Amino acid sequence: MIAARRGVRVLAVEVDAKGDLPEALGHPAVGFQPVVVQRNLSVLALHPEDSFQEYLAIFFKVPRFTRLTPLAGVFDFVATGVPGPRDMLMVGKIAHEERRREGDGAPIWDLIVVDATSSGQILPQLTAARSMRRLVRGGMLRSQVDFVDAMVTNHRKTALCICALPEEMPAVEALELHDEVVQDTAIGLGPCFLNRCVAPVSAPRQRRLVEMLADPATARAAAPVLGDGVAGLVAGIRLADSLGRLGQPFARRLSTRMSVAVVPVPLIAARPGLATTRAVAAALEAAG
Amino acid sequence: MRRASAELADAAHPQRLADLLGGLDVVICCGSGGVGKTTVSAALAAAMAATAERRVMVLTVDPARRLASALGMPGIGAEPVTVSAARLRQAGLPLRGELVAAMLDQKSVWDGMVERYAPTRQVAERILDNRFYQGVSDAFVGSHEYAAIEALYELHEEGEYDCLVVDTPPSRSAIDFLEAPERISDFVGARLLSWLAHPSRGGFHAMNLAAAPLLRIADRLLGGEVLGELGDFVGDLQTLYGGVQRRARSVSRLLRSPRVGFVIVTTLEPAASAEAEHFATKLRELAMPLRAVVVNRVLPAFLTGEAAIRAADALADDHRGAEALSRAIRAPVDAAAAVALGRTHRLFHELAQREARQLARLGRIADVASVQVPLITTPVSALEGLVQVAAAL
Repeated sequence: MIAARRGVRVLAVEVDAKGDLPEALGHPAVGFQPVVVQRNLSVLALHPEDSFQEYLAIFFKVPRFTRLTPLAGVFDFVATGVPGPRDMLMVGKIAHEERRREGDGAPIWDLIVVDATSSGQILPQLTAARSMRRLVRGGMLRSQVDFVDAMVTNHRKTALCICALPEEMPAVEALELHDEVVQDTAIGLGPCFLNRCVAPVSAPRQRRLVEMLADPATARAAAPVLGDGVAGLVAGIRLADSLGRLGQPFARRLSTRMSVAVVPVPLIAARPGLATTRAVAAALEAAG
Repeated sequence: MRRASAELADAAHPQRLADLLGGLDVVICCGSGGVGKTTVSAALAAAMAATAERRVMVLTVDPARRLASALGMPGIGAEPVTVSAARLRQAGLPLRGELVAAMLDQKSVWDGMVERYAPTRQVAERILDNRFYQGVSDAFVGSHEYAAIEALYELHEEGEYDCLVVDTPPSRSAIDFLEAPERISDFVGARLLSWLAHPSRGGFHAMNLAAAPLLRIADRLLGGEVLGELGDFVGDLQTLYGGVQRRARSVSRLLRSPRVGFVIVTTLEPAASAEAEHFATKLRELAMPLRAVVVNRVLPAFLTGEAAIRAADALADDHRGAEALSRAIRAPVDAAAAVALGRTHRLFHELAQREARQLARLGRIADVASVQVPLITTPVSALEGLVQVAAAL
């Protein structure tokens, strides 16, 4: 959203076709072809069952007659079930979009942002092309896997951005994924986004005010202005402070151990969907 | 609240869910990723072992470190390990029974399936040595879930434990777990792949007429020798079909048995809650027994209080709040600090209100017990956290 507002032509890709990404951009569920949702911003979703035929049609000119035969079940099965083809489908489609050009040779997209799968499954998808090279030694698919692998491992084209939470298991898994990417793959890393951050009440003036309001005498004196909810107010602020402090060690661990910048994203209470996306974008822009 | 939930409404009586579920042979904890399934699975198993002289196993699939971390152990492997009763007692959860933990060894389960159903030793070895098998057996969608179900079935048949609590894999969709037996069965099924293994077989003449162009295309895509290798692999795999089918039917019966219960673990985040609702619907459609919903990491109810949010709104008033307060309490009040604090409370008030609405929606998804586990807001060790969760169950 931020990039689109700045004139960058963006394609957003949803990998698991649950509809969450289009909804986050204020649009109903979409299909395999890009749909414009805002100025400079399009979105598509990878539905494996429908996409495998599209994939074969685009890259290998496989006719669509098979949808009318008992072999349709085979296509559905291969698209959704078999590793390699299933993962190549995702990465291959993205590679195809990255290669698309206007009539004058300019890329159609300046930026492709992929809402990928969870950290436990992302590496098999990104390394699918490389894995397929071991299984497929010839044929047209071999040239396809080489091209896809080259795109994924080109640091000037592709960056993996890990998203984490300031909690133990998400931080541990983010670090493990980071280390695995750095040590075992040729994939480039972008910044790590630390989501749902709560700032502890650390500013001295804020802490002083909380302590004052926690005093029963002060709370009584404040009642004409704040009403009779001062105790509940103090309890809520202290809970927020506790949560903020709970998350700090994990945020520090990520910042210290990752080889990339860790960008905090504040906890947002907006309605799910476009409102939340706008709020997150505003927070990221405000943070610079 | 439903009838069953009313029994759990009394927070002074912990381990009620453990009592409700403790008589079952198998409890399967499902839910989307990141909701705390592993901690809840471990806590539920610990609570079951605490409330009665039961021998309870908690089985995890991936990643094992989550369960080890939740139980305060250095590691858990394929061999069952007994969780130290002394450690749990020290952490505030004395056991009457025994708690055992194990990690599923997915590769062993798959290899075991091949060895069990292959018609001869030679066929089994050909499959196990095949590079396609090695490439797909651990990455095939549903392979984690199916391995969990196979292990669950074997353990249940052995009958060594009074109750098995299964921490299901962090699937892309929890539905994958329910559909795993059928999907795997289809994978080795003759109907789907026999054209590839035996394209000249007369009985599939009609399919072969359609398959011939596809085989030519596949040959162009993959290169000649790969198609041949794939055909040999599929041919061998088909020999497992009968056994896999029979096991899939047995597993299907087990998952619908009154001795089995599903527990949906969720949080009140919109995406997790939506998936919980969807999963409950799916269980109903498949006639699989949903026994409870555990709502994890719930914000305290006091955050929805109206008096407190009025106070927060007054504090967050950019123009007048701090000045008015300063006059009332006769002490300087920093305006920026006042606004920041007011907005902080407002944020959590809105989150708590959203959670309350979501909780009301979840209460309508099924007539089953529903338990709320409070958000932990103080630093605790993994084991202390588990004990707190067990107390809520």
